[in-house]
Amino acid sequence: MNEPRELPTLTRRHILAGAAAIGAGLVVAACGSDSNNVSGSTKGTTGTTPTSGSIAPAATDATGSTTVGTDAAVTTAAANAGVDVKVAQLAAGLEVLAVGTYKAALDAAGAGSLGDVPAAVAEFVTVAMAQHQAQLDKWNGVLTAAGGDAVTEPNATLKPTVDAAFGKVTDVTGAATLALMLEEIAAATYLSAQKVLTDKDAIMLAGSIQIIDAQHAAILRYVLGEYPVPDVFAKVDLAAA
Amino acid sequence: MSMLHKPDRLDDRAFDQLIEESQDLHTDAMTVARTTMPDLADLASDRRRNAGAADPELVQQFEQARSSLGRKIAMALGGIFGAGVISSAFAKTASAADGDIDVMQLQTAVSLELLAVATYGAALTLPFIANGNPVIVKFAQTTMSQHDQHRQAFSAQTKALGGTDQTATNPKYTPIVEAAKPTLAAPIDVVKLAMTLEQVATETYLADLNRYTDVTSRVLMASVMGVECQHLATLRAVGALLDGGAPELIAIPLGADVAKLPAAAGSVAFPDAFEGITMASPPEEGAVK
Repeated sequence: MNEPRELPTLTRRHILAGAAAIGAGLVVAACGSDSNNVSGSTKGTTGTTPTSGSIAPAATDATGSTTVGTDAAVTTAAANAGVDVKVAQLAAGLEVLAVGTYKAALDAAGAGSLGDVPAAVAEFVTVAMAQHQAQLDKWNGVLTAAGGDAVTEPNATLKPTVDAAFGKVTDVTGAATLALMLEEIAAATYLSAQKVLTDKDAIMLAGSIQIIDAQHAAILRYVLGEYPVPDVFAKVDLAAA
Repeated sequence: MSMLHKPDRLDDRAFDQLIEESQDLHTDAMTVARTTMPDLADLASDRRRNAGAADPELVQQFEQARSSLGRKIAMALGGIFGAGVISSAFAKTASAADGDIDVMQLQTAVSLELLAVATYGAALTLPFIANGNPVIVKFAQTTMSQHDQHRQAFSAQTKALGGTDQTATNPKYTPIVEAAKPTLAAPIDVVKLAMTLEQVATETYLADLNRYTDVTSRVLMASVMGVECQHLATLRAVGALLDGGAPELIAIPLGADVAKLPAAAGSVAFPDAFEGITMASPPEEGAVK
């Protein structure tokens, strides 16, 4: 577990490209969210990048009492609410992907496909998966409370590369390396979201989850033979273009 | 997992390489930070000019939090005459911006970082740390350095917003650390003390996030929070191994010994799915008085 980590098919570059697309989506969402985002359901488009036109129920409510474009303050509030919903959808899609990947790892370990699995690693996967499920439930609670649909599909941008990479995983090191990249992406995405979130509860939720995902990453680094806290400042390069 | 390593031994070369990479990243980060400082200074000027347009909710929270009569008078006068009068009146002790909740939070953060640096520094003078497990020594050295860089970043941001730089350690936790020092008799004692400071910092920065009016400050704090929480996670794991009588498993890289880790080592570092804020310091705790 002490070799430089790089999976056979899922290189850091691949992950970075996917994450960059997500980050770019966040920026576009922040800059471009407006009253046009008032159509369609998130069902069937969940887990996609936040640029996909999805409804922001809070925005609909906010704009419903006035004519769009005639009240700058209300329009801004609606746009902000739309950004927050897009971030929640993005976060939920990442959490679905994390839960699914950890579940696949547990299944593979149970089938003996990963070789001997250390007890601490098995415990890590079990607990981390449960925590990501709790985080997913929280984001979906935010979305449904706002009148939207829960996200049930994994992030569509990252899923194909993660799936392809997981297909090549043959041991615990490979699985831990993939998990570390997902945790780093999640933590970086939550940090990046602080630039655009406006709702106070959403800001706190993103920060709270960023902490747990960063801690997952620290322990995975230790298991992989790396220093657990390599950076002086948490980075957003995995989340932002 | 196939490589064997002597327990309790640190691969200094690999470790130093990791540290060097981290320092390179820091250098890059500081380069970016320096380029944004002029903008931050402009922002500070804007904030000072627009002091009368502060968020009423934040002002109310601020007023409730401050007990100083002078501050209350200053706030009242500020509402009548504007911030310029107040900044002149109190220029000897603090700038007008010191009443800004963003600045207060940054000053409190500096106070926590100063205390963390001092505490890790003191720990490194203890014989059972200095001559003990090399991974713990490296962790203390590296973490102390990281906290000092966090302090520098928070200080720079404080000044960019027009505030006074905090130079004193946190008033609430400094006596606690001082009281604990004579009782530190083993590595686990130091680890537990450090865990307290890291958890306070992590939760303080989390609690601060949605009170910021300045997004740059919020992102900076979230970035530092993302590192303090990893210090905490590492300390929790190290503490569990010490408590469990397995100090030989505190090694980087661990190699094949990862198989010897107790199951609990896989989850002790993150006991909850969400971080709480019960140990968070309030914004005014470490603010410049």
